[in-house]
Amino acid sequence: MPSTILIADDSSTLRRMVRTALEAAHHKVVEAPDGRAALDKSASVAADLVITDVNMPEMDGLTLVRELRAVPAYRFTPILVLTTEDGEEMKQRGREAGATGWLVKPFDAERLRQTVAFVLGRKRA
Amino acid sequence: MKEVTIYIGGVHASSEPALVKTLLGSCIAVCLHDPGKRIGGMNHFMLPAGAAGDGERTRFGVHAMDCLIGAIQKLGGDRRRLVAKVFGGAHVLAIRESSAGVPQQNIEFIRDFLREEGLRVISEDVGGYHPRHVHFQTSSGRAFVKRVGTREHVRVLTEQARPATTVSYGDVVLF
Repeated sequence: MPSTILIADDSSTLRRMVRTALEAAHHKVVEAPDGRAALDKSASVAADLVITDVNMPEMDGLTLVRELRAVPAYRFTPILVLTTEDGEEMKQRGREAGATGWLVKPFDAERLRQTVAFVLGRKRA
Repeated sequence: MKEVTIYIGGVHASSEPALVKTLLGSCIAVCLHDPGKRIGGMNHFMLPAGAAGDGERTRFGVHAMDCLIGAIQKLGGDRRRLVAKVFGGAHVLAIRESSAGVPQQNIEFIRDFLREEGLRVISEDVGGYHPRHVHFQTSSGRAFVKRVGTREHVRVLTEQARPATTVSYGDVVLF
């Protein structure tokens, strides 16, 4: 079932790669170039899932996760962190911020779609 | 000053003064520098993009660039201030030069990538027929390039012919 997915990444190349991967599964993708823009867009797009990078110029991804968790509409929305950061300490910080999962770049398009399908299915269950 | 040599797939960024060195044939090295914070780094990639099983992720330009930008941001750099210097893409193999060849693909990829990402290129030394030694000072952002001859040429070809390792994509962890 198609869903609306909000992606925050400061790299337009990476946003395009994620968009291509998810649109192949018929999802609607809304892009934001940083955490601040994603938070602003989150109010109007009613995203079923958020995918965010960590290191971004205006509001980093972990702050975005914490800010979204404070919004009632996003309290239980799956939020995946997609980043080059692969340290255990960072993953723990992501978990504490309220992220649903942690994906290390580079991503495999099929695996991303499977992970997205899994967390969306878990949300609906 | 600390000296670090990187090879294909290598990425190194530093907020402390460091000299990052590499030897390039058809590969590309991008040096990024945040002059405001005096943070800089360099990568060294072999091809624009790859598929599963093609080798370590940073062998490929799109991921090597993502890792380098991420590493500089992690050290406190701001991508909006970053300036780029681009080196490599030499035609070093004894086969006919072509616009579809690896060196030209690499050059076109990095030009497109940097333009699309809004990263300003302040110097570029690409193409040609000779390998390059590149030295990059991370704090000043200065880069030094030396074109090298036959003996180094053999080293470059040997390095580029190294078999790919099997790691490709990152982990997925659900909390």
